[in-house]
Amino acid sequence: MDINYKELGLTEEELFSRVDHNELESEKITAPRYSYWKSVFRVFFRSKVNIVILGLLLFTVLFAYIYPNVTHYDPYANLMNGAAKHLSPSKAMAYFGKSIHWILGAGASGEPTFDAIWNGSQISISLAFICGAINMTVGVLVGAVWGFSKKVDAFMMEVYNIVGNVPTILIISVMAMLFSPSFWTMVFALTVVGWIGIAYFIRTQVIIIRDREYNLASKCLGTSTFKIALRNILPFMTSIIVTLLATEIPSYISYEVFLAYIGLGMSEMSLGRLIYQAEGAMVTPGWELEFWSPVAIASIIAVVLYVAGQNLGDASDPRTHM
Amino acid sequence: MGKYLVKRLLHGLVSIICVVLIVMVLIYSLLDRNKIFSGDPNYNHTASNARVTYEQSRWEAFGYLDYVPYADYVNELAARGGIDEETRSAAVMLGRTAEKDSEITAQYVAEFTEYYESQGYTVVRLEADAKRNGQLKDGGQPQLFATRDVPLLKRAFSYFTKMFVVDSIHYVPDYIDIGERGISFTLFDPVKNPDGAEKKVFSPAIVGNGTLHKYLLYFDGQFPYIHQNIVTLNLGESYTVNRGVDVFTTMTESQGAYVLSMVTYPTGVPAQRADDLHTATYVQGSREAVASNMEWFEDDYTNVRTVKRGFSRMGYSFVIGIISTVLAYVLGLPIGLLMALKKDKLIDKIGTVYIMFIIAVPSLAYIFLVKAIGGKLGLPTLFDTSSDSKLMYLLPVISLSLTSIASHMRWMRRYMIDQMNSDYVKFARSGGLSEREIFVKHIWKNAAIPIFHGVPTAVIFAMTGAIITERVYSVPGAGNLLTNAINRYDNGVIVGVTLFYAVLSVVALLLGDVIMSLVDPRISFSTKAR
Repeated sequence: MDINYKELGLTEEELFSRVDHNELESEKITAPRYSYWKSVFRVFFRSKVNIVILGLLLFTVLFAYIYPNVTHYDPYANLMNGAAKHLSPSKAMAYFGKSIHWILGAGASGEPTFDAIWNGSQISISLAFICGAINMTVGVLVGAVWGFSKKVDAFMMEVYNIVGNVPTILIISVMAMLFSPSFWTMVFALTVVGWIGIAYFIRTQVIIIRDREYNLASKCLGTSTFKIALRNILPFMTSIIVTLLATEIPSYISYEVFLAYIGLGMSEMSLGRLIYQAEGAMVTPGWELEFWSPVAIASIIAVVLYVAGQNLGDASDPRTHM
Repeated sequence: MGKYLVKRLLHGLVSIICVVLIVMVLIYSLLDRNKIFSGDPNYNHTASNARVTYEQSRWEAFGYLDYVPYADYVNELAARGGIDEETRSAAVMLGRTAEKDSEITAQYVAEFTEYYESQGYTVVRLEADAKRNGQLKDGGQPQLFATRDVPLLKRAFSYFTKMFVVDSIHYVPDYIDIGERGISFTLFDPVKNPDGAEKKVFSPAIVGNGTLHKYLLYFDGQFPYIHQNIVTLNLGESYTVNRGVDVFTTMTESQGAYVLSMVTYPTGVPAQRADDLHTATYVQGSREAVASNMEWFEDDYTNVRTVKRGFSRMGYSFVIGIISTVLAYVLGLPIGLLMALKKDKLIDKIGTVYIMFIIAVPSLAYIFLVKAIGGKLGLPTLFDTSSDSKLMYLLPVISLSLTSIASHMRWMRRYMIDQMNSDYVKFARSGGLSEREIFVKHIWKNAAIPIFHGVPTAVIFAMTGAIITERVYSVPGAGNLLTNAINRYDNGVIVGVTLFYAVLSVVALLLGDVIMSLVDPRISFSTKAR
């Protein structure tokens, strides 16, 4: 192919200059700029399913936070109205007029089931996020120290063996009886020993990675333990932590439902409390929606949170960034 | 190996003691002890001084403190023969105030006060609570009692020392005359050879007099055929859940309708009853208290357990638990294996969705889903102990196994994929081994190690029951014992159940490690750990 160098408007010297061998330059390795989090999101958004799931997650969470605040949900507005209780969607619409509040019918005290489940979702999601944040922070920090120090390991293993054998239900119910069974009591009860399981998991992972050859080499070259932890181990842990978070957060929603069902729930009308109170409605023909609506919404929130978190965890594993 | 096991067991024992201490702090020290009256209808019927003594007596029953009313002290003196009936009735009468006590009362009150204060008790005297007109209010009688909180360490110490009770001929207090105390061996069990029986039935037994149990060792037709009452396990007495019965007995005694049979009582009187005479224990004065006991029994060994047709709490939990555990292994492992072999194919995707569903969705939701679907199909959705139908086990078993199937699938798939990608498998393949050989000889052996580690835990914890499943299907199992005890402030049961669970978990983990070392010869406990 003929190329007209004249058209480029460059002089002869510029076009052909001598490049000498440069010892220093040849030592440099050139690679495209790599940003960890950019790659994580590139991998995450490559899959269409993830975009849908994330959209669903954002929608659910935002709806749960905005909708009850906009509508000013009052569960006892129709308490004295005998005709408003336990209505099927069609009857409720006929009675109250067509509106979004009544598309799931009315509950035991005449409250709109649709509003009740979103209000409950808000409480349950808050609980899950707060407990998740506290337990993960404490758990990861303690777990990291636990994994690195042999002295701490010996001590913490004893603590783990003992605390692990005290039934969680007992601890939670003692907390619930000590203080009033409010939202923050529940947070306290779920976090007072909840972090220890996470810390144990992180400890095991740290021990596995700590003794790998590259860390041994790094140590021999004189890298400080702190730097090893920050530069060599933390990147490995990121995907593990995200994956763990993806199982932890939905598990608090499930656990809250479980506790409410055995009568240890909080006083707020969370999803678990709604399910507990509507249990009798499940077997009553025509009232089933009151029971299945909170069950369904709890399941949807938990599944969406879980899938989004798992896929983010996969994306945050550097091995998928190729 | 043996040394290591002993060390592990001792270690476990220390953990168990710590767990019991923590639980005791939680329930006896942290919780407000007035909570036990919140659901008590009798509490509101008492007033004035009677309410104070009622509180004390209940707290003693729930194990918070030692409480001795003055009247009990005097009555016991009389029973021991220290004072005669006349002195007793005079001494028991308290004056309206301490100054108004009669001379004889004042003397015994002083003795009472001195004795119990030296023991560390606080002696409380409540003066008569009178209306304006001088009449006593309801429950306003004067009261005198000694009370003492049980300190934590003492409580724990006495709990552990009283855990195994060895029966002795001095169980019945020495001042009670019950004839010649002793333990006798007989080849002809008196239960099977009542007076006047024509043919003697050979059945060796050890019979005691003065002991708590009448039959210390005997044979009968029930598993395990030979029974002993010499050493009894005492995990903690129930107060509200199953009154006066030990936790272990609560878990293991059979439930349901009585099984009637022709019982020939010690006096030779036959009756169609469900009593199991071998379980007779001593209750002071019980023979004379009940008319029928006078007719049937010759002594105060009248407290017998009854034969019932159902399983025990633990029995129901175990039957359901063990079936679902076996089902979970039988289904979960092959499916997980198949998923690993067909990675990224349809079956893997379906399996992954199922695992995700089970992990994320609250277990309550799918258990109710199973119940609703089962109900539509006409299966029994509620457990009925009086029915012989095996169908009623179906839905609880399915509900319980869904979770463990998912967990086995998940781990089996994970282990298999890890092993399949490892270098030694690639090497084996390049060496010309068939896929079948690689799987059976290499992959399975390695993948099975962590699976086997979990087997003892799965089997042992099958008997502790499942809280939600048992509640949803109203199974009379052991799963809800702890939650029931918590709701009803039954401190003895809480401590007992926690201890039981802790022992099971220590044993299960140990067994898991032993099995793992048997399956995998590379794992050895005799050398020093990493």
